[in-house]
Amino acid sequence: MMQIRQRPDPTLALVPSRPPTAAGPAEVLTTIQVSNLSIVFDTPQGQVIAVDRVTFSVNQGEFVCIVGPSGCGKSTVLNTIAGLEVPYSGEVTVDGRPMQRPRPDVGMVFQQPHLFPWKSVRSNIAHGPRMLGKSRGEARAIADGLIEMIGLGRFADAYPHTLSGGMQQRVAIARALANQPRVLLMDEPFGALDAQTRSVMQDNLLELRERIDATVVFVTHDIDEAILLADRVLIMSAGPGRILRDLGVDLPRPRSNAIMLDPAYIALKKDCLDLIRSEGRRAFEQSTAG
Amino acid sequence: MRRLNILIGALSIPLFLAAWEVVARSGIVNMVLFPPPSIVAVAVLEWIRSGQFFSDFGASLYRVVTGFTLGAIAGVALGVLTGQFPLVSSLLSPIFHVLRPIPPIAFVPIVILWFGLSEAGKLFLVFWGVFFTVWLSAHIGVQKVDRGLIRAALMLGTPRRQMLQEIVLLGALPYIVVGLRTAVSISFYTLVAAELAGAFSGIVYRIEIAQQNLQTGQVMGGLAALGLMSFVADRMFATVAERAVWWR
Repeated sequence: MMQIRQRPDPTLALVPSRPPTAAGPAEVLTTIQVSNLSIVFDTPQGQVIAVDRVTFSVNQGEFVCIVGPSGCGKSTVLNTIAGLEVPYSGEVTVDGRPMQRPRPDVGMVFQQPHLFPWKSVRSNIAHGPRMLGKSRGEARAIADGLIEMIGLGRFADAYPHTLSGGMQQRVAIARALANQPRVLLMDEPFGALDAQTRSVMQDNLLELRERIDATVVFVTHDIDEAILLADRVLIMSAGPGRILRDLGVDLPRPRSNAIMLDPAYIALKKDCLDLIRSEGRRAFEQSTAG
Repeated sequence: MRRLNILIGALSIPLFLAAWEVVARSGIVNMVLFPPPSIVAVAVLEWIRSGQFFSDFGASLYRVVTGFTLGAIAGVALGVLTGQFPLVSSLLSPIFHVLRPIPPIAFVPIVILWFGLSEAGKLFLVFWGVFFTVWLSAHIGVQKVDRGLIRAALMLGTPRRQMLQEIVLLGALPYIVVGLRTAVSISFYTLVAAELAGAFSGIVYRIEIAQQNLQTGQVMGGLAALGLMSFVADRMFATVAERAVWWR
């Protein structure tokens, strides 16, 4: 028996309202501005510069990947955009307002799903809207729409520990999207998954990308992942963290994992690898010389 | 093989009682000091028929339940405070860590001076024993809440109050439940000390009176009643605990 239920269109629910623009549609709006950002950590061996005068901006609706070796400070940059970390010097603004603490218009997906183990899939996703003052009914409707979208309809009432790693991370993405963030930050979200699941998740994210309007900053150490997903790739170097190159990815959308065989893709990947290899050699010589 | 295990398991207690009955009546031991189960049963029946059993049971139950409840509430509340707020922890934790290792029973003499033989003194002893165990488990539980969950909740716009209620308290719940279960048996230890120190009713009080009158059947009946009470409390709590952590 079919039951007809009124449910808001999830694709509509996810489109954040754009700020009114006086100019024509051709104007490009800057959503994230990172200016001269430095981050210094206190360690027992003294102060360590984790991020050194990093400057970049991300336009509205853009998908930017930050790639770099572990320890290059890419996650730290992301945490600063999230408001979880405070700049040592420099500034980070989202929609013109400096980030000093987490804000609901900036969502985050971590490497671990960090789902609330005592909440069902539905309640996990509904958590954000409820915290922003939505009624239980509204929050539930938003959650149900997103659950459909990530294809976990059968698991709406399941608890996180009964789900696989990939499913948990899909729930975490849906949970971050439930607040309709202007910016979605993703910190190696597929890093803990096996290769097969990862490529499925990448294709899922590419599909999702066509349906949401949020600006995305995605951190990864996997160059393939970065080129596959991004409009632009920022390549970072380690010790201290700097941006080496800002690379546009002019590959047609919609994309899928199949694009990895495209000659344009391969050329782009070669560029990245050459850059990273020469930078790696430089860093190695520097460390052995010093 | 399994059936044999069940059969032997079912026979375990009857066999023990039978052996006890035989040995006690054989004349090997002094029957006055070591009465057989049949005499213990008669003493228990007499205890129940006289109506004293229910007033004794009620008095002991009241002390355990009230002392436990007060200690548990205070322990959880302060544990969450010290676990969550470093300032409160700096103020209170050193004091608690000094007081906690002193066995609660050692407070009996001072409690008699403070409260005399009143009910308040007995509740205080049970409270004292329960409080520190529950406080420590709640304190540790709150500190062990996954930082990742807190960051995720922060990113979703969770306000302070909801952070405490929906994330920190639930994250600490598994630890708190373990602390509470330990505290159940501690509340019975302290009950024994409290009633031995001087009371006018209660199961342990009855055991002590019977001992003075050399009513060994009554003494053993009292022990059995206390054991049963503690066992039932623990089982009940285990069932509650399983449901309290519902997501496991």
